[in-house]
Amino acid sequence: MSGRAAQRIDLRGMVLPVALVAAAELLVRSRGLRSDAIAAPSEVLLAWLRALVDGTLLSATAETLACAVAGLAIGFTLGVVLGTIFGLRGLVDELMEVTIEAIRPIPPVALIPIALLVYGFGYRLEIAIVVFATLWPAMIFTRTAIRGIAPRLFEVAKALELSPRERIFKIVIPAALPQIFVALRLSAAISLIVAVTVEVTANTIGLGHEMMMAQSSLHPDLMLALLVWTGVLGWMINAAMLLAQRLLFPSSIAERTGEAAR
Amino acid sequence: MRRARLATLAASFLVAVGFVLLWQAIADARLVSPVFLPGPDRAWSALVDGFQNGTLIQKWTGTLERMVYGWLLASALGICVGALIGISQAARAYLSTTIELVRPLPASAAIPVAIAFLGLSESMVLSVIAFGAVWPTLLATVHGFSTVHPRLYEVATALGMSRLAVIRKIALPHSMPDILAALRLSLTIALILSVVGEMLASRDGLGSWILLAARSFRSQDLFAGVILLGVTGFVSAMLLNLVEAWLLRWRSEGRR
Amino acid sequence: MDGTGDGTAVTAEADAILELKGAGLIIGSREILRGIDLAIAPGEFVCVVGPSGCGKTTLLRLLAGLMLPTAGEVTYRGAPVRRASRDVAIVFQDYGNALLPWRTAAANVALPLETMGLARDERAARVETLLRTVGLEGHGEKFPGQMSGGMQQRVQIARCLAQSPSVLLMDEPFGALDAMTRQGLQDEFLGLVAQNSVTTFFVTHDLEEAIYLGDRVIGLLPNPGRVGIALDVGLPRPRNQLTTREDPEFLRLRRALFDFIARAEA
Repeated sequence: MSGRAAQRIDLRGMVLPVALVAAAELLVRSRGLRSDAIAAPSEVLLAWLRALVDGTLLSATAETLACAVAGLAIGFTLGVVLGTIFGLRGLVDELMEVTIEAIRPIPPVALIPIALLVYGFGYRLEIAIVVFATLWPAMIFTRTAIRGIAPRLFEVAKALELSPRERIFKIVIPAALPQIFVALRLSAAISLIVAVTVEVTANTIGLGHEMMMAQSSLHPDLMLALLVWTGVLGWMINAAMLLAQRLLFPSSIAERTGEAAR
Repeated sequence: MRRARLATLAASFLVAVGFVLLWQAIADARLVSPVFLPGPDRAWSALVDGFQNGTLIQKWTGTLERMVYGWLLASALGICVGALIGISQAARAYLSTTIELVRPLPASAAIPVAIAFLGLSESMVLSVIAFGAVWPTLLATVHGFSTVHPRLYEVATALGMSRLAVIRKIALPHSMPDILAALRLSLTIALILSVVGEMLASRDGLGSWILLAARSFRSQDLFAGVILLGVTGFVSAMLLNLVEAWLLRWRSEGRR
Repeated sequence: MDGTGDGTAVTAEADAILELKGAGLIIGSREILRGIDLAIAPGEFVCVVGPSGCGKTTLLRLLAGLMLPTAGEVTYRGAPVRRASRDVAIVFQDYGNALLPWRTAAANVALPLETMGLARDERAARVETLLRTVGLEGHGEKFPGQMSGGMQQRVQIARCLAQSPSVLLMDEPFGALDAMTRQGLQDEFLGLVAQNSVTTFFVTHDLEEAIYLGDRVIGLLPNPGRVGIALDVGLPRPRNQLTTREDPEFLRLRRALFDFIARAEA
């Protein structure tokens, strides 16, 4: 298969999106369709630029990202710590099994009303939910990764008479790192999704909230602009994490588990 | 070995009970305001009351129905489109870019658009659930199809099997492990979006119920609802695990 | 280029059921096979040997219709082979990849019968007969994952027989099995072939196996793959693991083949 064939397939993929955008533009413009739900792609672009210029886009993005990142930082760290404990101490893992399995299935959004009660609207509400959501994949992946460490490595640690602290930092964590990074990718994606979800559902800040406002104030162009922007954000975060993974862990194992996690 | 497993499970259960007792102690000592944290006793009685007078059953069924219908719709769509992409080079060429573009979009971000088109209706919630829950199954089907060993396709060609037969008898069974794992994930997504949809559109279900309970400071009802949602998540995952174990018994029996 | 092959026999070769005429295969810049002329008569058991990489498996895939020659032609019953067909059954070496792991042995064997449109009871009866033929009676409900390599290979053979083929193409079918299982299967297979009078094309790297099983042994030279030697095996049938292998004719053929391979690999 030559490069020409590969290029041909590339172009075919663009047919559908381009056709849809063009069709939308034509439909709205030619029919003079004035709707509360549809806007021409050109109008959407204008709305996006307007939001960029008057600062709403950036402030909303900052709010969403701040909550996502903060929640991710706390939740992921917590998850890794718990996963490490459960991975290394089988007894603790087994004793905590019922408790964890009882709490884990609770949908993060179900905690929104509780967090709403405790924190009211704002950053802390969102961060709390993101923490709960990102905690679990981090914990599970870390636990699995650590359990999967070849017993040989632990024998080496014993032979070298490493202290528990040294053992964790010099052997356990480096060995589990590729899979933990995959968990980070997954949790990062989840953090954005959950943040937006909380904003759409209940919060007064962020991109999700702005989208709801645009919808209820009948500004479909702004709503769609924010929608596309959120998608772009999600795509950028995924791409950035994938790139980081390729740079940091150029091994096929991480890639394989990464593909499955995607 | 089974007895040891039962023993650890029992011990684990006792630990969980311990946490519940701790919870009760904190609530009794009013270390946290009862407005935020009802004791397990109050949550339990709210649960019992809710079932006895039927409200909780009604709300629960609402959520369950929404979740299951949305999930079934998403799964059917995901498998069909995934199979199409898996089996047809042309379909893959035309559709894969669009899919890659739409995939990173959080389903909840699509909610305002869905509301714009469908209002605060049942179909809005269902379409949002379907939109969010379709991805894992779709991707798993495509991935599964792509990993079928070429040898099996050669056998199929030699036998003169039709494309449909190849999908039904070779590609789909081969992809079952991936698809089942994806179905579990999409069920979780369906539950989440179902709750979100209920909260937003005030549809009859646990989502709207717990939001209302929070707004009226009825924390025991709130906790009862959250517990029910946790149970829903747990039981649905377990049911799927059972289905998976039964469907994939050729794998476990094959372990020699 | 259509061959007629309808009774107007000029030479014995016109009776051939499977034939390669000047067949060659070039992939990219590599010439894999060149000028292969081979005619296989109905009911004949032809074995092909050669050093690694000489193109034995490629030759088999050409005969199977899984690949098309870039030069010359491959014909089955006189007509050019364009695609794989049910009449020419292929037994692959990697039986693990050729069986459906989620189906029981019986269901695997039934696969061709389903495609052929047989009714359920007919299928069940036929499957039972076939399983008995390959010595897997009573193991029909096992999954491939629960079976040994030898059993799995027998399931594959049974499935191929279910196609009621006229020709069996076998790609080192016993290569992945231990010696004892291999010898047992060799004899079982000879019995099968005799019973069903199936034409067989058998690729192997085991020279003794080739002589033991075949009516004719073809040796390929590598780079590019071409016919180097063709020996007629004049040993009596039925073959016997002990007596046949001690027959002076067997030893003579063995010597000839060993020398050929030694020269070919040099």
